[in-house]
Amino acid sequence: MDIASNKIPETPSKTAAKEPGNNFAWGKLEPYIVHVLLILLCLAVLFPIVYTLLASLRPQGFGLSRELISGDGFYFGHYERLLSTPRFLRNIFNSAVNSLGGAVVTTSIAAAAGYAFARLRFRGRGVILTFILGMMLLPGLTNLIPLFKLASDLGILDTYLIMILVYGAYGIPFGIWIMKGFYETIPREMEEAAAVDGATPIQTLLYVIVPISLPGLVSVFMINFVYNWNDFLTALILLSSTSMKTATVGLFDFQNQLTGNNNELLNAAAILIMIPGIIIFLFARKAFLQGMVEGAVKG
Amino acid sequence: MRQGKIYPYLLIAPALLLITAVTLYPTLFSVYLSLNRSRRGQLEFVGLRNFEIIFNSSDFWQSFRLTAVYGIIFVGLVMIFAFLLALIFSRGLRFGGLYMSIIFIPWMLSEIVSSVMFRWMFLPEIGILQRMLGPVFGDIILLGNSSGAMGIVLSATIWRSVAFAMLLLLAGLQTIPGELTEAASIDGATRWQAFWKVTWPIVLPTTQVTIVFLTIQAINSAGMFLSITNGGPGRATEVLSLYMYREAIVFFNFGYGAALAVILFLVNAVLAVLYIRSLRSQVSYI
Repeated sequence: MDIASNKIPETPSKTAAKEPGNNFAWGKLEPYIVHVLLILLCLAVLFPIVYTLLASLRPQGFGLSRELISGDGFYFGHYERLLSTPRFLRNIFNSAVNSLGGAVVTTSIAAAAGYAFARLRFRGRGVILTFILGMMLLPGLTNLIPLFKLASDLGILDTYLIMILVYGAYGIPFGIWIMKGFYETIPREMEEAAAVDGATPIQTLLYVIVPISLPGLVSVFMINFVYNWNDFLTALILLSSTSMKTATVGLFDFQNQLTGNNNELLNAAAILIMIPGIIIFLFARKAFLQGMVEGAVKG
Repeated sequence: MRQGKIYPYLLIAPALLLITAVTLYPTLFSVYLSLNRSRRGQLEFVGLRNFEIIFNSSDFWQSFRLTAVYGIIFVGLVMIFAFLLALIFSRGLRFGGLYMSIIFIPWMLSEIVSSVMFRWMFLPEIGILQRMLGPVFGDIILLGNSSGAMGIVLSATIWRSVAFAMLLLLAGLQTIPGELTEAASIDGATRWQAFWKVTWPIVLPTTQVTIVFLTIQAINSAGMFLSITNGGPGRATEVLSLYMYREAIVFFNFGYGAALAVILFLVNAVLAVLYIRSLRSQVSYI
């Protein structure tokens, strides 16, 4: 299935014109109308982001004048201020550690388990796979209260460890599903050849299968990184000290403590936090779209 | 190929361990917690009392009603937008990939980032949408009005979710071979007839999957409500998931919060079973 590519199969519009019930003029105009509607839709979708971006590029308190753009051009002071605020940088650093750590855990564990489910026959395979995939459908939300209690009893609340473990676990079912699908596309001859050459199963996996599966591994890694980076509720519940909070939790605190007319600074922070996810998505659009569909519907 | 008997289990062990520790065990633990109440930091077994209190609590039913209203409007509107878009994209058009990337951007934003943007647009006095829409609804401050606040959360969550729902539906539509609709049109079917007789029966299972997916999302949308309205004004937007969060994390009523979590969990589990069933019933024409 090739949903993500630009070349979605063309249904030529000339067949549309020939269809009964469509007069000729409508058939010719239709593609243009569709494009106009889609462009309007895209503008509407982008509007909140652009409006926030413009507000972040003007001096503090300027909002009261109700003008969108200052006459003096763009003002980068809020960004300079944020990027020199230790607390903000610390939040970003924490987000990076937790998201990367979680994505590494997910990817390595899913790479191993996905291989077992794709290639090996063993007792309980079906039951275990159903159990793991069933876990994917249960949202983390209802688990957060017991997790909070457990982590606090174990004394690992408010640490990188708990965040990396939780993020790592959340991504596993999805990761296994994607990797299993990926491994199944690799011809079995690769492994047979390695076995003939005397490689142990583990050597085969590490030196033959993993290198070919790099695209799959990279897309599991990226999707999980972005999800972890954007996570807000899990981090809000499991982290409490200022020095451990992630960027999203810091942004939430900032929004709640906002006094006076500091909206421009808040908006600048939101824009900065949004950037990594957007960049990774735009670079790896195809991997994202295909990965998400497979994770959700290819039962 | 040679393989040891324990080799497969070694490969899946880390996955099972971590999922058990982070997902399964806490779920079972929340059942235990729900049968207790916390007093001065100690747990005290109270049986089903938490559930009794919950079902007799007007706060619970108020949150329940809000969740239902929100869920129905959210799922309904997202489905309409997503279906129309999926139909447009499935016929293939120039710049389709570009449009899709743009429509997907909101899904790639954190809930709190979306919240900052929507609160900013609806900020009293200043926000551009407050200034445009406030007068339309009789000069009210939308964020401070019960229906207005719900409407803002709805617009933000719909804005985020349409693209993903569209992608699921599109995957379903693309399983329909072009020849099928072509054959229908040769047989003299109008486009409308072709849609209802050919397209609709095939995409129905995907539609069910998408609806269940969105319903799960709607029930668990604490993050968006927390960050945009924090349940306010008053308790006007305190949906079930937010109610649960508040009781457990803010008021430290672990037992009561866990009982709410168990109720939410059961609802989710039923939906998950429905989801798997609709996946199984998906027709494959390829």
